[in-house]
Amino acid sequence: MSKANYRLVKFLFLALMGLWLLITLFPFYWQIITAFKSAAETNRTIPTFWPEVWHPQNFVSVFAEASNFDALVDSFIIATGNTLASLLLGTLAGYAFARFPRQAGGENLAFWVLSNRMFPPVAVVLPMFFLFDATPWGTDSHLSLIILYLVFNMPLATWLMMVFFRDTPRELEEAAYLDGYTPLRAFFKVTLPLVLPGMISVAMLCWIFAWNEYLFANLLVGTDVRTFTIVIPTFTHGSQTLWNLQMAFSLIAMLPPVILFILLRRYMVRGLSLGVVKG
Amino acid sequence: MSRLEIEGLCKGWDFPVIDRLDLTVEEGEFFVIVGPSGIGKTTLLRLVAGLERPDAGRIKVGGRDLTDLPPYRRKVAMTFESYALYPHLTVFENIASPLRARRLPKSRITETVVSVAQLLRIEQLLSRRPGEISGGQKQRTALGRTLVAQPDVFLLDEPISHLDAKIRHELRLQFHTLEELRKVATLYVTHDYAEALSLGDRIGVMGAGGLLQVGTAREIFQQPQHLFVAQHLGQPSINVVPAALSSVDGALQFAAEGAELKLPVAEPHGQALAGRSSERITVGIRPQHVKVIRDGEVTTDTTGGAAVVDATVAIYEALGANGILVAETGGVRLTALTAPDAVFQHGEAVRLALRNDAFLYFDAASGRNVMVA
Amino acid sequence: MVDGTAPGDLAGEPAAAERPRLDRADPATYPEWFRNKKPRANLIVARWVPIALVGLPVLVLFCIVVYPTVWMFYHALHDTNMMRLFQGNWNFIGLENFATVLESARFGDSIVHLGIYLTFGACLQVILGSILALILYELVKSNFLRVVFLVAMVLPMMLPPSIVGVLWKFLLTPSNGAINQALLNLGLIDQHIEWFNAGLSLWTIIIADVWNWTALPLLIVYSGRVSLPPAVYEAARVDGAGAWTTLRRITLPMLKEVIAIAFIVRFMDAFKFVDLVFIMTSGGPAQSSELPAYIAFQRGIREFAIGEAAAYAILIFAVSAVLIILFLKYLKKVLKAQGFA
Repeated sequence: MSKANYRLVKFLFLALMGLWLLITLFPFYWQIITAFKSAAETNRTIPTFWPEVWHPQNFVSVFAEASNFDALVDSFIIATGNTLASLLLGTLAGYAFARFPRQAGGENLAFWVLSNRMFPPVAVVLPMFFLFDATPWGTDSHLSLIILYLVFNMPLATWLMMVFFRDTPRELEEAAYLDGYTPLRAFFKVTLPLVLPGMISVAMLCWIFAWNEYLFANLLVGTDVRTFTIVIPTFTHGSQTLWNLQMAFSLIAMLPPVILFILLRRYMVRGLSLGVVKG
Repeated sequence: MSRLEIEGLCKGWDFPVIDRLDLTVEEGEFFVIVGPSGIGKTTLLRLVAGLERPDAGRIKVGGRDLTDLPPYRRKVAMTFESYALYPHLTVFENIASPLRARRLPKSRITETVVSVAQLLRIEQLLSRRPGEISGGQKQRTALGRTLVAQPDVFLLDEPISHLDAKIRHELRLQFHTLEELRKVATLYVTHDYAEALSLGDRIGVMGAGGLLQVGTAREIFQQPQHLFVAQHLGQPSINVVPAALSSVDGALQFAAEGAELKLPVAEPHGQALAGRSSERITVGIRPQHVKVIRDGEVTTDTTGGAAVVDATVAIYEALGANGILVAETGGVRLTALTAPDAVFQHGEAVRLALRNDAFLYFDAASGRNVMVA
Repeated sequence: MVDGTAPGDLAGEPAAAERPRLDRADPATYPEWFRNKKPRANLIVARWVPIALVGLPVLVLFCIVVYPTVWMFYHALHDTNMMRLFQGNWNFIGLENFATVLESARFGDSIVHLGIYLTFGACLQVILGSILALILYELVKSNFLRVVFLVAMVLPMMLPPSIVGVLWKFLLTPSNGAINQALLNLGLIDQHIEWFNAGLSLWTIIIADVWNWTALPLLIVYSGRVSLPPAVYEAARVDGAGAWTTLRRITLPMLKEVIAIAFIVRFMDAFKFVDLVFIMTSGGPAQSSELPAYIAFQRGIREFAIGEAAAYAILIFAVSAVLIILFLKYLKKVLKAQGFA
C-alpha cells in the first residue's frame, strides 16, 4: 500500500471515530442545554440548539417536589447498603478462594459464583417478589432491593477481591504468623491494608451498579420507597413531559456515577472489562 | 534449652519431598543445609516453622513438641528468600512487628528495635519503606525482624543468595559475628556450597528426600559419603570418571569406561577396593589434585606418588586468582586447577600429575563412597 | 493432636543409608508412608474456616438465585396464576405452559424482534466497538487524547438505563425532537420521522441501546489490545510487516478470544435486555417492540399468568445458561493467557 493511500485510510478511520465521538457527546450536550431552558422554550415547535434564556433555577425547582429529593435519598440508602453487604460477603469469599482454593470448593465454585452475575433477572424477580411479600419488611422497602442487588454485585465483589488477594503475596501473611500474629490479626495487619485500594474501587463499582439499577426497582418498589431511576421516567405535568426538569434532575442523578467512573477509569480499562463489568 | 530435634519427618504433595528425615541441631549450633534448588530445603524450613504440616514425624524444640502447633505459637523466626517485608510499613515497623504481636509497651519496643538496627547498621533507614531501600538493606531488615523476636530457633532461607557478591561477603561475615544467632539453634538454607562451608558449624547436604551427609565442613569436603555430595561441593566441580577395576600382576588399577585412560589405585585405597576387583566403579578426582606439568618442567612435588599421564589442552580459562584447565587424556576430559599466571594454548601438549592417593571411589550403582564403611 | 502421627509409627524403618534411593520421577521408589498419606488440615486455620468464609456468601446466593430458579421451574409446570397462588391451589399441567408460549404469535413476533435486535444491536455494537477500540489504540498516538477519547466514549455506559431511556425518548420526539430537527436542518429529511410508530419503535430502542452499550465491547477489546505483548509488534516491525499485515496476522488472531467474550457478553445481555423497552415504548405500539424478557415480566407481574411467565423465564434461562458456560470457557482461556487464575 502506498504512503498516500495509507494516510487516506488512516484519515478515514480517525474521521469515523470523530463521528462516533460526536454521536456519543451530542445527547449529553442536549441534556445539559435543556436543563437550562425554560419550560416554554423546551416545548417550542422548532427546538433551539442554544438556550435563549438561561434558566438555572430548574436545578432548584426540581426539588420543590420533596419526593424527588427523597428518591435520591432512597437510591443512596439502597446503593450504600448493598455496597457494604456485597463488599463484606465478597471479601470473605474472595479471601477463601484466593488463600484456600481447595478447601473453599475450588475453581468451579468460584466460577459458579461469578456466573450468577450474568443470571437473567426474569428468572429471579418473580419468586423474589412473592418471597419478600411474605417477609415482615415487605416488597416495597429498602431492604428488599439491598438484598436483591446482591445477585449481581456480590459475585462481582467476590471475584475482584479474589484477584486482589491473589496479588498480595502469601508470604507476607506467613511472615506475620511467624511474628506471632494469629490469622485474624495477620489479616488486619498485613493483608487488609494492602488490598484496601482495590477494595475501595470495588466498592465504587458496586455502588454505581446499585445506584443505576432500574429493572428490579421498577418491579419491586414504588410507593413507600422510590429510587430516582423509577422517578425519572415519570416527570410529567398533565399530558406534558417536563423535559427541562427531567434533564436537570437526571444530570444531578448521573453525576455520582460519572465522577466515580472518571476516578476509576484506569482500573476499569485494565482488568475489569473482562466481561465482569456489566450486570 | 533450645535443641531442635526432627524425627522421621515426611512431607509430600504430588511426590515425596521430605522422606523420613532425622536431624538434631544443638543449642547454639549454626547448621547449614546445602543442596540444589527444588530439592526441598525450603519445605524443610516451612515444616519447622509450621507453615506446612508434616505427613508424619515429629518436630521438637527444647523437648517441647511443636508438631501440631500453629506457626504463631512456635517461637520460631524465619527469614524468607523474598524477604517478605511488609511493603506498607516502615523499616522500624517491620522490625517491631514481632514485638507488637506480643503487645509490649511502646518504650520497650522502640528501645529494642533501635538497638537491633544499630547492631545491623540500618538505624538511619528506620523511617523508610521497603520499596526505598537496597537488597542488602532489605535483608538486614528481615534479619532484624527475626532477631528482635528472640525465638528458640532461627530459620534462614537463602538469606543472601540474591545479593551481589560484595554485599554477600559482607553479610556472610556478619553471620559469623552475630552473637544472637549463636545462642539458639539456627537452621540456614543455601544452594551455595562456599556459603555452607564458610558458615556452618555442621553442614547437611540435601538430596532427594533428605540429608545425604551431615558433618563439619572438613568431613563433608574430604570424605563425601556420596557421589552427589562430592559433586555438589567444590568449584570447579569434581571430575567424575566411570571406570572398571581390574587386577594386573597383583596390583589394582582402573580403566576409564570407553576410553584408554588406565591408572593405578594408590596404596591407601587398595585394601578397601581389593574385594571389588573387576567391578564397575565411579572415580572422583578433585581439580586441585590434578597438577599440570609443561614440557621440560621438572616435577618438584612428587609426594604421594602422583601418576603422570600425557594430555592435550582443550579449554583454558584464566580467572585471576587461579586458572581452570580442561585437558584430554586417553579419551577422558579432566579439569585441573592451575597457577594464575600460567598461559596455555589450545592443543598444547602437557602432562598431568594425578594425586591418586586423594582419589575418591564411589559404588557405580548406589553412588556411595566405598572407602567409608 | 487429633490426627498427629506418633514418631513410633516409623519405628523399624531402615536407617537412611540403607534405604533405596528416592527418585521423584519414579513412583516405584516412593516410600510406604507416601502411598498411605491422607490429606491433613493445615496448622494455620481450622478446617471449617474456609468453608465458613465461602459458606455465607454461597448461602445468600442460594436464597436469591437458586431458590427462585427452582421456584420458576416448578411453576412453569403448573397452571399457577395470581389467584391460585394465594389460594395455594395449583395443578400440574406438564409442558402445557411451554406449548402455550411457543404457539403464541406474541412469542413468535418477539423472537423475530430479538433476531433483529441481536443482528443490528448486539452484533453491530461489538463490531463497531472493536473497530473503534483498535482505531483508538493504533491511530491516536497521544496518551492524553487517548484517555480523553476513551472516557468520552465510555461515558454513556455509566448512565442509569432510565436516564438513557428518557434522554433518547426526548431526542427522538417526532414533533420537536433534536434529532428530527438536526436532520431537517442538514437537509437529510424533509418531514419528521415518526420514531415511535409500529414500524420504527424497535429500531428506536436499538439506536438508544447502541449508543448506550457500544462502549462495553470497546472497553473489552481495548484492554485486550493493551495487554498484548509489545515484543511481538517489535518483531513484526523488524520483519518489515506493514500496518495491515500486522493487524491481520497478529492483532486480530491474538484478540480472537477477547472479541468472542465481547460477543458472548452482549448476547447474554440481549436475552435479558428489557429496561429500555419498559422506559421507551412499553413494548408498543401494538406489541411491535416486545422482546421475550419483556413479555415474561409483563405476563408475570402485570398480567399474573405466573405459570406462563415462568415458562418464558425458563426458556431465557436455558439460552443464558449456554451462553454463561461459553463465556466462562473463554474467560478461563483469557485469564490463563494473561496470567490470572
